[in-house]
Amino acid sequence: MTQKFNVIGSRAPRLDAPDKATGRACYVDDIEFPHLLEGAILQSPHAHARILSIDTSAAEALPGVAAVITHRDVPDVRYGVSPARYDETIFAIDKVRYVGDEVAAVAAEDLDTAMAALELIKVEYEVLPHVLTVDEALAEGAPVIHDAFPGNICAEVHQEFGDVAAGFAESDIIRTDVFVNKRQDGAFIEPHRCVAVYDNFGQLTLTSSTQVPHYVQRTVAMVTGIDVGKVRVKKPYVGGGFGPKAEATPCDIISAFLAIKTGRPVRVAYSREQVFLHCRARHQFKHVMKTGFKKDGTIMALDHQCWLEGGAYSSFGIATVYYAGSLLAAPYKLPNMKYDGWRVYTNKPACGAQRGHGGVAARACFEQQLDLIAKQLDMDPIELRLKNIMTAGDVSCNDLAMSSLGMKECIEAVRDGSTWRDKRGRLPKGKGIGMASGFFVSGAGYPIYRSETYHCTVTIKVQEDGGTVKVLTGAAEIGQGSDTAMAMIAAEAIGIPLDRVRLVSGDTDYGVDLGAYSSRTTLMTGHATKEAGEAVKDRVLTALAEELGIERDRLDMANGLVEISGDPVDFSELRTKYIKEHRGWSDHPAGDQITFTEAARIAYLKYGTVVGTGKYKPPVLGGKFKGAAVGTSPAYGCSAQVAEVTVDLETGQVTVDSITDAHDCGKAVNLTSVEAQMEGSVSMGLGEAMFEEVKFDDQGRVLNASLGEYHIPTVLDMPQMSCIVVESGEPNGPFGAKEVGEGAIMPTIPAILNAVHDATGVTITELPITPERVLKALKEKEQEKD
Amino acid sequence: MLLPRFEYHQPASLDEAVEVLGQYAGEAAVLAGGTDLLVNMKHQAMAPSHLVSLAGVEGLDQASADGGRVTVGPLMSAAVLAQSEFIAANAGALALGAAVLGSPQVRTRATVGGNVCNARPAADMSVPLLALGARAVLTGPDGQRQVDLEEFFVGPGQTVRAPGELLSALEMDAPAPGTGWGYQKLGLRKALEISLVNVAAALSLEDDGKTIKAARVALGAVAPTPILAPGAAEVLVGQAAGGDVFKAAGQKAAADAKPIDDHRGSAWYRREMVAVLTARALNQAWARAQGQ
Amino acid sequence: MEKIRIELTVNGKQHDLLVAPNRTLAQTLREDLRLTGTKQGCEVGDCGSCTVLLDDVPVNSCLVLAVQAAGRRVTTIEGLAQGNELHPIQEAMIQHGAIQCGFCTPGMILSAKALLDRNPDPDAGEIKDALSGNLCRCTGYQKIVEAVQDAAAKMGRD
Repeated sequence: MTQKFNVIGSRAPRLDAPDKATGRACYVDDIEFPHLLEGAILQSPHAHARILSIDTSAAEALPGVAAVITHRDVPDVRYGVSPARYDETIFAIDKVRYVGDEVAAVAAEDLDTAMAALELIKVEYEVLPHVLTVDEALAEGAPVIHDAFPGNICAEVHQEFGDVAAGFAESDIIRTDVFVNKRQDGAFIEPHRCVAVYDNFGQLTLTSSTQVPHYVQRTVAMVTGIDVGKVRVKKPYVGGGFGPKAEATPCDIISAFLAIKTGRPVRVAYSREQVFLHCRARHQFKHVMKTGFKKDGTIMALDHQCWLEGGAYSSFGIATVYYAGSLLAAPYKLPNMKYDGWRVYTNKPACGAQRGHGGVAARACFEQQLDLIAKQLDMDPIELRLKNIMTAGDVSCNDLAMSSLGMKECIEAVRDGSTWRDKRGRLPKGKGIGMASGFFVSGAGYPIYRSETYHCTVTIKVQEDGGTVKVLTGAAEIGQGSDTAMAMIAAEAIGIPLDRVRLVSGDTDYGVDLGAYSSRTTLMTGHATKEAGEAVKDRVLTALAEELGIERDRLDMANGLVEISGDPVDFSELRTKYIKEHRGWSDHPAGDQITFTEAARIAYLKYGTVVGTGKYKPPVLGGKFKGAAVGTSPAYGCSAQVAEVTVDLETGQVTVDSITDAHDCGKAVNLTSVEAQMEGSVSMGLGEAMFEEVKFDDQGRVLNASLGEYHIPTVLDMPQMSCIVVESGEPNGPFGAKEVGEGAIMPTIPAILNAVHDATGVTITELPITPERVLKALKEKEQEKD
Repeated sequence: MLLPRFEYHQPASLDEAVEVLGQYAGEAAVLAGGTDLLVNMKHQAMAPSHLVSLAGVEGLDQASADGGRVTVGPLMSAAVLAQSEFIAANAGALALGAAVLGSPQVRTRATVGGNVCNARPAADMSVPLLALGARAVLTGPDGQRQVDLEEFFVGPGQTVRAPGELLSALEMDAPAPGTGWGYQKLGLRKALEISLVNVAAALSLEDDGKTIKAARVALGAVAPTPILAPGAAEVLVGQAAGGDVFKAAGQKAAADAKPIDDHRGSAWYRREMVAVLTARALNQAWARAQGQ
Repeated sequence: MEKIRIELTVNGKQHDLLVAPNRTLAQTLREDLRLTGTKQGCEVGDCGSCTVLLDDVPVNSCLVLAVQAAGRRVTTIEGLAQGNELHPIQEAMIQHGAIQCGFCTPGMILSAKALLDRNPDPDAGEIKDALSGNLCRCTGYQKIVEAVQDAAAKMGRD
């Protein structure tokens, strides 16, 4: 891409950073709502139990209590993420299915009273036998969690592409490896919370810490029965999401019902413990991969089985079980692939989507296996990968089309940008270097509900007094930097400096936007923003051309200045008119070019308010088989990382010393933000690799529902990171841009695993890589030798 | 998350504190740094109806040496202890443990008295104090008594301190010349971490600079309370300091440990780590002992 | 539960407050004084997002009772900028892209300020130690450490 940009590709500071650095940025809890009630939710103490009775009378009688609601007070309606699996109710009706299932809720004058009222609600339970693991849930005669799913299988996938048997027949080496990760938590720093206001116009407004105002709006409209046009969801600043905030939560739904019932604003806010109980984060996956290779390293076939421990409800799980298979079809040429996946219900909090949705554990398993094959073949792991990678124009066996793919560039960048060549295979015992690659969608090809809806619409309005434009988008800034990226795209598209762009976002009143998930915003909302910006530019320049009496195509705009091709044009009259209109003002336009401000003013005077709109939905993508939609995307990002580790051979403790990270984001809209996503991805991947695991006791209670006992990395745990941004120029992306938010996490875990293997010779097949697990593996290896 | 309701008392002297505590014995809790107490109260694990803050009692946040005895005030914070040259010189193990407790924000609040009275098996200041041979000075309505720290801890969260008593000081003998200390903490991450295993060691050398005159090894997270490893000390005394004898001491310490399996780690691993960390703590102590 | 009258100096301004004993400093700052820049991510001292300076040292304000802060000086994130002039640490955090969701940012900046006030020229290790009680899930910390290094250099030059 040789296109010259004025705004795109810079390191412009984020628009929201000053507010966030000074404490002025308002998150849900920072906004004042007059006459607010505090809501609280009564959650099940049992993993599986029948509800025999609920007595709320004492709670209702407590002074200060405004409302107590249970399933009796709300419609008997099923909801969830995938319409194919609406399996949640607003409150438990006949039984509770996990410790944390919602049973009742209270709104009171203050939280103290609300909490006291919860204790006064008497629920009689008949405790039922529960299942906490995939094995328990699939055992013959296991207790059934949902009557409609007698074997506790929430979803299963069976796919075959190519001819796997033939692929194995042609293989020289066939390896089978097993890999298990652990249930992860999103561990965003701001817990979920929502304030619902039901006003005298019959409008319901939610102010929610969510990634997906659009889906929250639809779900809340559906369950409350309020016209969707009267449900508004606003997302103020959000303290992180990473996936678990990508669906309507009980905070949203219950605050809505309490607000409707009481006629007052109601806040429902999760404590940190409740965040763990709600979960909706990364599943536990067990992968079994049988892979066939030619002697020269060519990958011939993959037979892959996967079991997901899903928890009590579906959440995003159907998509997850598909992603766990489909995302292995690239970035390596894999002609034959069979996938069998099962997502299994258990009596635990529901798992859902988390950064790298569905693909992270699968990627770890496969990339570790590639290294083991390379060892068997006595090949450099990088050489093995380079031999098999796809390039732009390739289509995977399951119909994922690589419109751009800088995989080779990423791998070579981390090889050359690190000390790989000096160190691989040459480090003393206890020191290791490893690498891995990754791959991810740049926006899901289809919305979660079946629809021909645009995935996003954007409006840009030129302020009537000229000078600035205002971008209105439903896109969800949750920390990833989408507000800044969209403002930059708008500025570039119109041809004005960034400081001429104002932006409001995250509100369903501003347009449709499916939200911050599947790494979709830069490409999709970026497209819509670009289209809206171009419309604005065209409208303004058309007006100017009319005014000047010249052809429209002689005009262009850059940096807020109009460029006129051909002979010079006298615009002094126009300028005089503008200056007269602004007598007494100090910022009169000057210079030998017409300014955007002057041109915009002319457009307003001619047409009234100038508005440009943009929209985006991907073209029809993917194959015709069942589940073909999951994994499709208008573009794919890819990445490679090299990790260096030190293993303490006496304690088994692994320290990650450095990560060299390359990511192909197509074109960096904001270079600093791209690096920021890469570094953040490494930290979440490192956490999952090294520390993170939500643990349960035998009654299904979370043992470590705190940020003290659930270990995300601290600053002291992070290695030195070197980020290399690869720009392949994505033809389907705005200005060539595609994802970085999630693909960047893919190589982290396997790169560390492969480095640990390099350091010790042991293969860790279960996460996290705790010192105990490593030491045990080291001792077992010693014994094998003896 | 709300704190349960309570009445707040801030007595101005030790006597007054003991009196208030006596008045509400059984219903009152002593508030020092609050980094454990307030967490437990927010989790509804305890709901004392009275909190007696020691913030108004003077002199509890000082350390001193007098006639062969070192006194550490119970209100000294981990941050102060970690940075104190006096503590580094006279009770170095405590400084080492204090420096790695929790996080900077926790260290500015958490006190050594609180750490001892909470009696957590992995407590980062209690384990070093055990190695230092510290004694708890308890002040109650009937006056003062001293309890050796190994007698002080009874079980997780339990001590011999009566409800009406206050921990008014921690005392220990001044270190002999040629004494050094080590502290080793193993956790998953490098901050905000409760130890999987922690080991403190105190080592005194004879005048020859080689022979071990006295040694104490204390272990955390491998028993219901912080414990001493007497077997380790026994192996060490009279021997020339060095890697082999430290390894042997590690093996003895592992035998003295009584770990259990829990969600943080297995008994097997903890025992293995006691051996490794003991040897490392002794090496660290030896280096410092020689440096003096 | 008897309320207690306290004096609290917050960002240089003295406040006379009547607080319930079970009110934390974080609640008092956020709810009574409406200084909502102090965030709460866990409420039990695990995350550091409620970090404020109490007599210049960083504390988790969720684990300090308001009554314990009586008569003392509190600095919150709102107290750093002088009018529109941002503190060098704030400026550096913005310039280095060290802010993403921003929820940990106020606490992070205050921990950094406490460090630079007592150690104007810290090395990377000292910076990391000082920030080790502030959890960030977005950034991987690298740009934060770079920002603090840069702020220290700039403050040293002034």
